[in-house]
Amino acid sequence: MATPSLSFSRPTFAKLSPHPYLLTNLSPQSPSTKPSRTNGRAPHEARPVQIHTSSLSHAHGSALVRSGNTTVVCGVRAEILPVTNIPQYRPRSSLQPSSTTTSDDDDAADRAELKTYDLLVPNIELATGCAPQFLPGVPPSSLAQTLSTRVYSLLHSCGVVDPKSLRIWHDPSTETKNPDESMQVDDNDEDDEAEPPQLMAYWVLYIDLLFVSFDGNPFDAAWTAVMAALRDTKLPAARWDPDRGMAICSRTKKNPLDVSRGGLPVACTAAVFQEKEYAEAGGLGGENRHWILLDPDRLEESLCRETVTMVVDCGEGETRIRSVEKLGGTVIGRELMRGFVGVAEKRWSEVREAMK
Amino acid sequence: MTDRRRVNGPVGSTHPPVFENEPEQELGASKCLRTRAPTVTRKMYLKTGVTPSASGSAYLEIETSGKGSVSGLKLSCTVHGPRSLPRSTPFSPHIILSTHVKYAPFATKQRRGYLRDPTERDLGSHLETALRGAIIADRWPKSGVDIIISIVEGDQDREASKSQGGEAWDMMNALSGCITVASAALTDAGIDCVDTVAGGVAALVRDEGDDTTPRIVIDPIPSEHEQILAACCVAYLPDRDEITNLWFKGDLPASDMELYSQLVEKGIQASRNSNEVIVSSLRETVG
Repeated sequence: MATPSLSFSRPTFAKLSPHPYLLTNLSPQSPSTKPSRTNGRAPHEARPVQIHTSSLSHAHGSALVRSGNTTVVCGVRAEILPVTNIPQYRPRSSLQPSSTTTSDDDDAADRAELKTYDLLVPNIELATGCAPQFLPGVPPSSLAQTLSTRVYSLLHSCGVVDPKSLRIWHDPSTETKNPDESMQVDDNDEDDEAEPPQLMAYWVLYIDLLFVSFDGNPFDAAWTAVMAALRDTKLPAARWDPDRGMAICSRTKKNPLDVSRGGLPVACTAAVFQEKEYAEAGGLGGENRHWILLDPDRLEESLCRETVTMVVDCGEGETRIRSVEKLGGTVIGRELMRGFVGVAEKRWSEVREAMK
Repeated sequence: MTDRRRVNGPVGSTHPPVFENEPEQELGASKCLRTRAPTVTRKMYLKTGVTPSASGSAYLEIETSGKGSVSGLKLSCTVHGPRSLPRSTPFSPHIILSTHVKYAPFATKQRRGYLRDPTERDLGSHLETALRGAIIADRWPKSGVDIIISIVEGDQDREASKSQGGEAWDMMNALSGCITVASAALTDAGIDCVDTVAGGVAALVRDEGDDTTPRIVIDPIPSEHEQILAACCVAYLPDRDEITNLWFKGDLPASDMELYSQLVEKGIQASRNSNEVIVSSLRETVG
């Protein structure tokens, strides 16, 4: 007769005492077995990324990103903002429709333009029931607010979107093509010639992200989705109609949004798992082993305090660090951070492969 | 008053792009007419278990019709529960359903806000009625279940003009999809139901041309017809032969009772079709 066994199934253990469970998995008894996480991955192994673009027809650009069990949909929708609707609009005299000057002054002014007129509007919706803790009918949680703000600031700091492709111009010299009209306004012709093109409106990009399924590491997935959707975005060719006082778009002609200037920044997040939980570690001192877990899932995120997110861009042959965010602990120092760049580089090439 | 918990964008108002009428577009704007037989529904794709952390979940996609600009319906549904109600709620002898339907901001022609608007609330309450009849509510006293549907993409023609008033009819199609996907997600969550409920839409339409006798079609797409006179959306339990929710809209002569019952009859037929999809999808999961 079998005695009632005291062993539980793996998911039960994970739920009852998650910390010891993950610790045992990471430090196996026999040296022959490699340390692995509860989800079967090695500590430095990220989940593979899948990207599908252009699946939504009402958005101008869209992407669905799936990384393990985290699924996020991003839709980019463009709307027109006439300059008359901007309260504190200051025309820049140096601006020309075809200007290709890349001086630092212009670059800084371009960025300021995006930011002061608020032309990029990213929002992340978590309250879709994507995980049991995110139920709808409540205002955005602090996590959703943080994520939106992080995406917003990264979009601006990386200069992902070129403001040039968001401007809608009116060129008076090309307007008077009608022969009858030009007869009547013969006297004014010279004035028209002299009149330079005017900036009449901007495109505003509403970037909305919807989490379908949530299993940890929301920022990496969200940022990948934003980048994939922006690269997929095509804005209709717009011209200014002075008679109607509004921008009119072509039904057939579409221009892809220029996102080449920002390169391809890719976010890479890791969490630090410590042997002793925070409370005991402080008093006892001594050695406290730690593991760096790349691309943490929901269970791991709940057990780790310290996380680091690095945004790198390895295009053009060299690695550029676009942003580093580290919070909640003291384990990751300079050395580890330097090593982490290598991990992020590897992640970058994985994501770039998926984007193709 | 702006919501400071979201990124709000520019202070000045923006408007969606206005498109010009290109000549060849106008000439070649022969409307995409319905090519399906009146009793055939569009193809559906249903998958359960898309959100592993929820108790149950399902994803439904309805095929896009021939014209490229018409999007198909894409719905994602999650079910959380049954779980105990908070202490403060009064005793309830049966399970408390709460349904939540939300369009994604990029789901329709006009950008949707993040706050629920009346049409979404309306869809939610219809959905609740449809499901309440199917769930064996007495098995879970003092508990609640949340059913959340995100409409990732609505069933709407991008090029249809506003004057056609397609919005109201689109809601019917959306509701029928919501009922079907919620039923699959409830089953995935293992919540006891008397039967799998499924939604179906039938409509009385008048087509373009000289032949003006209205006819009844199932699973209508508003832009394919000249005019929709009336439509009904039913939630139907096939094994029990019961209707849990009936939503009727439109303009019919009150004298002709026959027409009413025919419309409901066809709605049931549409619902049977979607029920087959649910059953075969669940069989796949089990088998």
